[in-house]
Amino acid sequence: MTDLLTPLQAFLFEHWIEPVFQYLGLQAYVENAYDATYLLLLGVIEVIILVAVFRPLEALKPVENWLDRRQVKIDVLYTLLHRLGFIPLALFFILWPITYSLDRSLRLHGFIPLSLEDWFPILYSNMWLSFIVYLLIIDFVGYWIHRLQHRLEWWWALHGLHHSQRQMSYWTDDRNHLLDDILTAALFSLLALLIGVAPNQLVIPLMLTRILQSFAHSNVAIDFGALGEKVLVSPRFHRIHHGIGIGSEGGNQSCNFAVLFPLWDILFGTARFNEPIHATGIQDQLTGRSYGEGFWAQQWLGLKRLGRTMKGLKA
Amino acid sequence: MRRLFFIVLLSFCAFQSFAEVTVVLNSGDGSISLVDRHTYQPIKHFYVGKEPHHLMSTPDNSALIVADAVSNDLVFLNPTTGEIEKRISRISDPYQIGFSPDKKWFVSNSLRLDRVDIYRAEDFSLVARIPLSSMPSHLAFNHESTMVFITLQGSNQLAAIDLATQKVAWIIPVGNTPAGIIMTPDNQHLLVGVMGENGVAVVDWRKAQIVKHIPTGVGAHNFMPLGDSRHVLISNRGGDTISLIDTQTLSVDHTFPIPGGPDDMEISQDMKELWVTCRWVKEVRVVDLTNYHITHVIPVGRSPHGLFFISHAPRQ
Repeated sequence: MTDLLTPLQAFLFEHWIEPVFQYLGLQAYVENAYDATYLLLLGVIEVIILVAVFRPLEALKPVENWLDRRQVKIDVLYTLLHRLGFIPLALFFILWPITYSLDRSLRLHGFIPLSLEDWFPILYSNMWLSFIVYLLIIDFVGYWIHRLQHRLEWWWALHGLHHSQRQMSYWTDDRNHLLDDILTAALFSLLALLIGVAPNQLVIPLMLTRILQSFAHSNVAIDFGALGEKVLVSPRFHRIHHGIGIGSEGGNQSCNFAVLFPLWDILFGTARFNEPIHATGIQDQLTGRSYGEGFWAQQWLGLKRLGRTMKGLKA
Repeated sequence: MRRLFFIVLLSFCAFQSFAEVTVVLNSGDGSISLVDRHTYQPIKHFYVGKEPHHLMSTPDNSALIVADAVSNDLVFLNPTTGEIEKRISRISDPYQIGFSPDKKWFVSNSLRLDRVDIYRAEDFSLVARIPLSSMPSHLAFNHESTMVFITLQGSNQLAAIDLATQKVAWIIPVGNTPAGIIMTPDNQHLLVGVMGENGVAVVDWRKAQIVKHIPTGVGAHNFMPLGDSRHVLISNRGGDTISLIDTQTLSVDHTFPIPGGPDDMEISQDMKELWVTCRWVKEVRVVDLTNYHITHVIPVGRSPHGLFFISHAPRQ
């Protein structure tokens, strides 16, 4: 696929992006811009795949039949902001000065962070093994971050936005509060300092995992079978997590936090496979609480909920 | 007949194992492409680390060292076959590397973390870590091996470091986004490829002064000596050209087109053939320097950067 993308990437970069960087005197960053062009194109392909594959599936085999898809529209915006790189770019500019200073300072004091490859040199030469190891660690950390998003009241104040979608679809994966995004990205940056960053050659495999995460949010009545359900997070498994009063707000009964592999839920006793499917959303929405409809309203209400928790109140 | 077949087979295997390769570092996908130096066919592609950018041979030419940025190690390759021989780990984020002419010092620039590290060349033991302002990019030495000069891509400066004391001797502004740097064969001037100024700044390093600007092309980037102790080539990456500079007259003799973002170069011993990585199109192009025609286009990995073959022209 990268071979097919190269001429397009080169054309866009050499004719549109590089001249702009030259005009602005930002030649020092043209190589970053070249990489960003690649990620942008992958993002476009990702969105095309989502629409081309998951939209027909939702039409063919829906869990819920909706009169209209009005509520879904805002999630399209979140997805485009994420997958086309706007939010990741903003996160980079916010977090880079911090991670840069920390990394630089550590090294000036003689501490070079270890990476997985230092422990297991075989990872240098085996791309797929490297992919599996990095993915398992990233997913394991993702599981615990997700549990904290539900366990800590102040974090739930932000993460609730993700769960407030009553029409959960393949667009819902990126519906997050920006502060929630920043916190999560900061923790993954810290992880990168501890184990090293995943190699660049893993960009496309990691993109495929993002597509899987979108699929897990789809409004499709699909499960992966008795064994498959325990291997990979399916739309059914994740819908249980989003069920009102079940997955996300069940206190000690909260379940199915895994991002890609249900293994973590099985290991730590939070897996529920046989739960009947419930409507998605948050319980207090049934009594009229609004989480906002537009992007800025949702962000503002998230901050207000966060403010309440700072005063010791429930979100 | 059977015996003859085995002799032919053995000769073929022997030829294969000693065939010379061109080593190409694909910085975008952390891999190395090996290309048959004489048939121009890609023969192997393997992963080496996270961001291999630049490479150079050891002073005795016994090994080829790949600076494996982000992975924090140096990878030693057989310079003829390209096979990995060993790794030296705990070298912090090496981007551009170089040995001083007296073979005493090994210098490594960390572009990402704004730092230059100086090691003893004999055992790669760390001598000093020197923080600099922004994006230390390329480096060059004076012939006496007393100074190393570092371009600071992000802060538009050129820094000189005294190798004996490991202290910064001077820093001067040199123009927008300096990248490649090379000492002229007479040890008088530094040539600095200044990307944002579309040409070369000529620096009298003893006076720490710019004495001339040579326009070459958009995004003047990196150098390679032709090997005749007089001319150097510079890739103008943004303008898709390469210029031939006469270091005696400090002027451009010729400029020729190379599409795809020409970057690092390698020149054959007879000075007739140029290999150049084209960053934006995943290709290496081979140029006949007698007429400046492109003779071969070789597909490699993503964002190819450094390249090397052992039978190269003298580095002066």
